[in-house]
Amino acid sequence: MSAALGNAGLLVALIGASVGALSTAMSIIGDNRRALRQAPMYAAVILFGALLAVVAMEWALFARDYSIDFVQRVGSSSTPGLYNLAAMWSALEGSILLWVMVLALFTAAVALRFRRRSDDALVGWALVVMYGVMTFFALVSFGPASPFAPGPTVPVGFDGPGPNPLLQNHVLVLFHPPILYLGYVGFTVPFAFAIAALITGRVGEGWLLETRRWALFAWGFLTVGILLGGWWSYEVLGWSGVWAWDPVENASLLPWLTSTAYIHSVLVQQRRGMLRVWNLSLLVATFALTILGTFLTRSGVVNSVHAFAAGEVDGYLLGFFAIVVLVSLGLIGWRGDMLRAPGRIDSPVSREGAFLANNVIFTLFAFIVLLGTVFPLLVEVFQDRQTVVGAPYFDRLSMPIGIVLLFLMAVAPVLPWRTTSTETLRVRLFWPAWLGAAALGIAVVAGADGFAPLVAFTCGGFAAGSALRQLALATRRQGVAGLVGRANGGMLVHLGVIIIAVALASSNSYTHSATLTARIGETVSWSGHTFEFVGVTSTIDARAEVVSAEVVLDGGKSYAPAVTTYLRQGMTVPTPSVRTGVTHDVYLTIDGNDPPTKDASEVVLRVFLKPLILWLWIGGAVMAIGTVLSAVPSRRHRRATAPTSEDLGVERG
Amino acid sequence: MTRASINTSLKGWAGWAALLFVIVGLLAVGGTRDRGPLDPSDRVDEISRHVACPVCDGESVFESRNPASEAIRAQIRSAVAEGAATDDEILAAVADAYGARVLLVPRSSGFDSLIWVLPATAAVMGIAALSVTFRRWRREAASGLRATPDDYAAVDRARREREANSDG
Amino acid sequence: MGDTTRRRRRVAPYVSLGVGLVMVGLFAVFLLVEPSRDSAETALLDRAAPAVTGEYADGTQFELARRRGSWVVLNFFTSTCIPCRNEHPELVAFVEGQRALGIDGVEFYTIVQNDDPGAVEAFFDEFGGDWPVVYDIDFSFQNGFGVAQVPETWIIDANGIVRGRIISEVSAEFLATSIQTLRERL
Repeated sequence: MSAALGNAGLLVALIGASVGALSTAMSIIGDNRRALRQAPMYAAVILFGALLAVVAMEWALFARDYSIDFVQRVGSSSTPGLYNLAAMWSALEGSILLWVMVLALFTAAVALRFRRRSDDALVGWALVVMYGVMTFFALVSFGPASPFAPGPTVPVGFDGPGPNPLLQNHVLVLFHPPILYLGYVGFTVPFAFAIAALITGRVGEGWLLETRRWALFAWGFLTVGILLGGWWSYEVLGWSGVWAWDPVENASLLPWLTSTAYIHSVLVQQRRGMLRVWNLSLLVATFALTILGTFLTRSGVVNSVHAFAAGEVDGYLLGFFAIVVLVSLGLIGWRGDMLRAPGRIDSPVSREGAFLANNVIFTLFAFIVLLGTVFPLLVEVFQDRQTVVGAPYFDRLSMPIGIVLLFLMAVAPVLPWRTTSTETLRVRLFWPAWLGAAALGIAVVAGADGFAPLVAFTCGGFAAGSALRQLALATRRQGVAGLVGRANGGMLVHLGVIIIAVALASSNSYTHSATLTARIGETVSWSGHTFEFVGVTSTIDARAEVVSAEVVLDGGKSYAPAVTTYLRQGMTVPTPSVRTGVTHDVYLTIDGNDPPTKDASEVVLRVFLKPLILWLWIGGAVMAIGTVLSAVPSRRHRRATAPTSEDLGVERG
Repeated sequence: MTRASINTSLKGWAGWAALLFVIVGLLAVGGTRDRGPLDPSDRVDEISRHVACPVCDGESVFESRNPASEAIRAQIRSAVAEGAATDDEILAAVADAYGARVLLVPRSSGFDSLIWVLPATAAVMGIAALSVTFRRWRREAASGLRATPDDYAAVDRARREREANSDG
Repeated sequence: MGDTTRRRRRVAPYVSLGVGLVMVGLFAVFLLVEPSRDSAETALLDRAAPAVTGEYADGTQFELARRRGSWVVLNFFTSTCIPCRNEHPELVAFVEGQRALGIDGVEFYTIVQNDDPGAVEAFFDEFGGDWPVVYDIDFSFQNGFGVAQVPETWIIDANGIVRGRIISEVSAEFLATSIQTLRERL
């Protein structure tokens, strides 16, 4: 029943998308405006189909409809409540279905937003691209990765294993994947408009203004999604880290890096009409990298703990990636020279000069992450041996890049457009630089050591000073309303990034750990904290056995790190217990693989002191608020200036 | 002296020199007291972050709870407890038995060196491209070149388009 | 300087072509790459076996270095591993065959990784085999030979030099003939 409904939904979406793509393209070519006005209707059909499929899937999961293969694999009567909802995206087929759903939402939103202008060729081609991408995903979901494929007949009373245990013990599992997908899939919209601009050869910034906010929206969700992933890793995986440079994590970071470059360099295009082809290329790269990342991590060619089982899907994804890349490159090669803008940047020490530097660094960063991720494949192909490239490699290279970016964040916001004088810089950067020195001073007094983190703190303080200066100027002029708008919302985002950078630098450099062994009733003290071992408790139900060790921390509240053995999967999962604090977290896990028995007289704990972790999440919240504020149009309208620069120095931003 | 002029002179070269002095001083104090890992347990963590778990997918020995990782951690722990070997020697000993594929930082020789050479090359090329472009732009500016009518037309079109769009 | 013409120089097709070629190379890598497999290659081959120690069930020490003088075969094992269970009859057959050779037969040891002695004894009671069982209590065998996954079988010659490593299940015949060939070669 659900299977039939779901398949019908996917078929509706597939037909709606493919017919929509073809007929819209034909009407544009044949200049059939009446037909073109019907183009947005297909989005409604697609949305209906996708909704039907998702409802059918969730219905099947909640009803434990074991006639469906997918439900046999991820469904279980013992999965607690809402985690059934998340079971949909706990394996490959369902996650593709989620992609289809989110893409259908975006397609519908685009169709709704531009419904009155669908006879415009630019909007028409953008819809064609959206429908084309939708066709691909609906095809994959209907064909090779069908979540509704019938499973083998199961005996009466059969119960499935449920989702991977790691995906059913933390509430973030409900939010992290959909939010991340809103980010990934959201980049389809600016990509579609970029392709449409290339096809129509429409010089000008019109399409860009249309999609800047869409790109910002996608970027914001991608940012929050990545951070939620880090939070989940911290709370669930038990190794006390937020980021492991795993291929799946890299796959989400890559489009983030290129889109961050884009949302900066797009300002140069809006202001000066330059970098058009470059911006198009960044959008294409961002979209292509979301597909490549999905291919890399879903096909099993790179080893990752996150990888789902391989299937036929990898061929489809690689083929689609190839089409996206080759078509886009072809279009850029054909139209690129026509779109290229005249004009130049007068001085490297100017706002647009800083944006250029920003782009070079972000592109370099993306290149390094991509290289590190695919390098094992290169070695395998050329030298036929196995290698791994891990966190230490990425850490080593991202540290200097991060410091340079922080420095740029300090200098760029105070730079005027076009050109500047040393005097301007000297005056504007004075107090921000002292804030950097103050940050360094505080760090040194607090006992921080090591050259690299100290430089990072200094640059962080410096950058925060610049951002605060801009915000102070804006609010002095316009009150709280000054926080709204692109530039100052952006400064708030910068503050969030700085908070995160400082928190990462210190938690990477100053984490402190120990293995504590104590008998029940004993109190151990270590590194300024006391740990009283109260006892071991054990609970068991149909799903899992939980053994937890109760520890009273610093004579106050008690914490209970646990080891959970999932009986169906035979999988043992450690669950950390964390005391969150403003200066540092105390992160407790039970050491070793074998959980202590109920009547154990001794417990071995692994304790981490992790500085400033709380600030990662605070920084993330600040970034999210800043993104929202910068998407709200500010009252101050700017006029585009002349493309060239003969009237040098007239404007002081 | 008025408040404004104090402010101005403060932000002059003297103020910046003082700032530089403070920063260099603090960096010297903080940077030279680098204590490294605080105790043996931190050192074990640091070394085990550089070793891949040989049987799991892409996790380091530090993260993984696989028995194989447990064994390698035990080896690192005992080597650290002995205190004779350096971090690199301990890593080399692990790689000797399990093979170079357990090292999470690729070696800087042979084919593997590409992973260091390529980013460096890309960085140099990026900086070179930027400076060449800026030099060209500066030459153009010096040659007194003006915008062509074409350019103005493009801007006007863009402006019109933008204004047309902002109504919608 | 003919600037307007220079500015409209055709650049995009070449840049796109260049990037396209790199991407085609990347596609080729993705298509050519095969799933990684385990390899029996080891840096220890033809080098002295590490000086490692373990314990018998009764607590007496086993020292690998003291076994010089005869060929030694080490089989890394846990009682819960399915391939170990599969290959066990082959090992029993192999050990019987070697004992029939008398003084020329190899010494055979099971090296237990990370397992409970009770479970190991129960395993041998059930599936047979009466050769010595060594417990790798301080992971020195595991780390010395770099054995991440059981079963693995290692061949060490009379001079304590590593001569062979077999990953996963092994058959009695393969093991016996490998040792025969190695002996003749040396």
